[in-house]
Amino acid sequence: MKKQIPYWLVSPYLLYFAVFVAFPVAFSVVLTFHSWNIISPMTFVGLDNYRRLFSDRLFWQAIYNTLRFLLVHIPLQIVVALALAEFLNQKIRGQAFFRGAFFLPVIVSGVVVTILWQQLLGFNAGILNRGLTALSLPRVAWLEEPGIAMYAIALMATWKNVGLYVILFLVGLQTVPVQYYEAADMEGATAWQKFRYITLPMINPTIFMVVVLSTIGGFSLFIEPYIMTEGGPLNSTLSAVMYIYKQAFQYYHMGYSATLGFFFALLILGVVAIQKRYVEQEN
Amino acid sequence: MQKTGWLIGALWLLASGCQQEQASRPLLFWCSNNAAEITFAREFTDRWQRTRPDKPLRYQPIPEGQSSEEIILASVVGKTTPDIYANMWQGSVEMYAKAGVLVPLDTISGFMSFLRARCDTAVIREITSSDGHIYQVPWKVNPIMTLCNTRQVKGPGLQPPPYTYSSYLNAGQRLKKDVNQDGYTDQWLGYTEVKVIWYQRFFNFYPLYLAASNGAPLIKNNRAAFNNRHAVGVFRFLQQLYRNGYFSKERLSATRDPFLDQRIATSFTGPWQVGFLEKYKDTSLQYDTWPMPVPDTHTGPAYTYGDPKNIVIFNTCPDPTAAWAFIKTLVDKPGDLRLMELTGQFPNRLNVDTDPYFQPFLQKNPKLIPFARQSRYIRGVDNSEVIVEVFDIISQEYEACVVYDRKTPEAAIRDAAEAVDVLLRSEPANE
Repeated sequence: MKKQIPYWLVSPYLLYFAVFVAFPVAFSVVLTFHSWNIISPMTFVGLDNYRRLFSDRLFWQAIYNTLRFLLVHIPLQIVVALALAEFLNQKIRGQAFFRGAFFLPVIVSGVVVTILWQQLLGFNAGILNRGLTALSLPRVAWLEEPGIAMYAIALMATWKNVGLYVILFLVGLQTVPVQYYEAADMEGATAWQKFRYITLPMINPTIFMVVVLSTIGGFSLFIEPYIMTEGGPLNSTLSAVMYIYKQAFQYYHMGYSATLGFFFALLILGVVAIQKRYVEQEN
Repeated sequence: MQKTGWLIGALWLLASGCQQEQASRPLLFWCSNNAAEITFAREFTDRWQRTRPDKPLRYQPIPEGQSSEEIILASVVGKTTPDIYANMWQGSVEMYAKAGVLVPLDTISGFMSFLRARCDTAVIREITSSDGHIYQVPWKVNPIMTLCNTRQVKGPGLQPPPYTYSSYLNAGQRLKKDVNQDGYTDQWLGYTEVKVIWYQRFFNFYPLYLAASNGAPLIKNNRAAFNNRHAVGVFRFLQQLYRNGYFSKERLSATRDPFLDQRIATSFTGPWQVGFLEKYKDTSLQYDTWPMPVPDTHTGPAYTYGDPKNIVIFNTCPDPTAAWAFIKTLVDKPGDLRLMELTGQFPNRLNVDTDPYFQPFLQKNPKLIPFARQSRYIRGVDNSEVIVEVFDIISQEYEACVVYDRKTPEAAIRDAAEAVDVLLRSEPANE
């Protein structure tokens, strides 16, 4: 009986894992070889879904859009979060207030933030463009211009998520032994030299974690383009997850959607593995 | 062994009890979840309960969700469908019919004679499924028409509606304005959603295509049938509206209604807008309704999209005959009149505009008369399982050609038709 206790203790999680993780994953893999619209019986189609994936122009555009988003979002997020963390790591007045203020967007509903930004970015009535007009500058079609819309979304997503990474960086910065800085001061190092040769190497694990988290978060881009642009203009903000969602819940192509999801998960895994290897080499 | 026997016996009793309960339970009627249709459902359910206490029936507004289509699909998957559902979009029926979850109504005694008395052959053809059965009762329509701010569109140098493409474009040139003189247009001829989502084409491309083509289908003999001068003409017309800035590319729907605000002079919309305008408009706004703009050389009536919503019976219904008897009370003349009175929507029946039975209502609501007249010339959507994807393909080309001017109308329509052909060819393998 005593031997069984550990198994009973882990069984709730095992049950949860089996029902909500293992079964859906296994079912998705099975689905990739089938055609299914939810309400009719499944039809076995072999590798048809995989063949279709490689010739689906819109899916590859969605992947390209997602990568374009990541290329702006991740560096921007790291630079802004690190700068804000450095700022909050100083002895300043109102430190607690700023920490709370920077974190606030993280806990606000993504839908609310997105709708708010949609208003801010409006061409005629948006506050940003009103500001530009007041400065006698031309208005920008933030969400209507295909070349700009994804970057506008990246800007918004950075604002929304940066608070979380500020906290992570702050924790990282506070683990750097103060003696290193004191020694550098005695050697006459400048602020930049201290940052470059002490801070950055010491917070490398935190940077890696932030890169991985924002990569995974960025790959799952959905709410922002879904609400703000619905993938437009000209599919320039159609993210991979949004495309997978459309295939599943707009067209009910469950088999094909599962194939896209499966492929996309492998892609994320590959990117994260490359990042990990790179950081390990750097270390 | 004895224990097993008891267990089987208990399970059998439980199962037969459940079956009995299933057969004797009240029928469940799902209605739309807006206040007017809930009132409509309540009234008719109460009346049914009084007259047919032997056939209990209860109504329930469809559960809240992103769209009623999504809720219905979830209920089909979860096997929690109602017995009767009123407000089924015509384009969804084929998928459910093919999945075998709907009752073929033409197998119910008296249904076909009822249908022939209510609708013309075009409607019957439109709702007949590919297997030859009919799974839906034509219920209500909301014709899409051109709502015009009469004070603005009857100005000097303007040809009054109804519009041809030329006169509409001319109105655009004269009505586009920069009122606050900041260098940007803030008053337009009209506005339709630029979003690429498929159903937005019901308020721009599709009614204009039906108007230009005298109600031609998009799909015929399982092939795209819209690669023609009508569709190209509609794309070119809409492209000119955006290219010249007569329609706003910015989403105005997130702000106060632009027609109510008199920031746009015309709007392609349905009769539901009349109730909204009457409730919120100020005295300076005067409006009237005309058919959709047509090509300059067009002859004959201007057809439009009727946005038909129909009634279906799911095959989980234990008593389809009783369900049909209840539905008949919703769609007889008193039922249709009550629908109009409570919701401002029109029944999908012949001669609504001239039938003396409906005249007192129309005289009391003159703003709805153009919609009643238009209901003679309406179309739904083609009966195809992949109709949503067809509209999505058209939407993609619409955005590229009409809104962003990246393609010629000819190329956009040709590409859309080719993509639809590929889709229709792969339909059997395509989920």
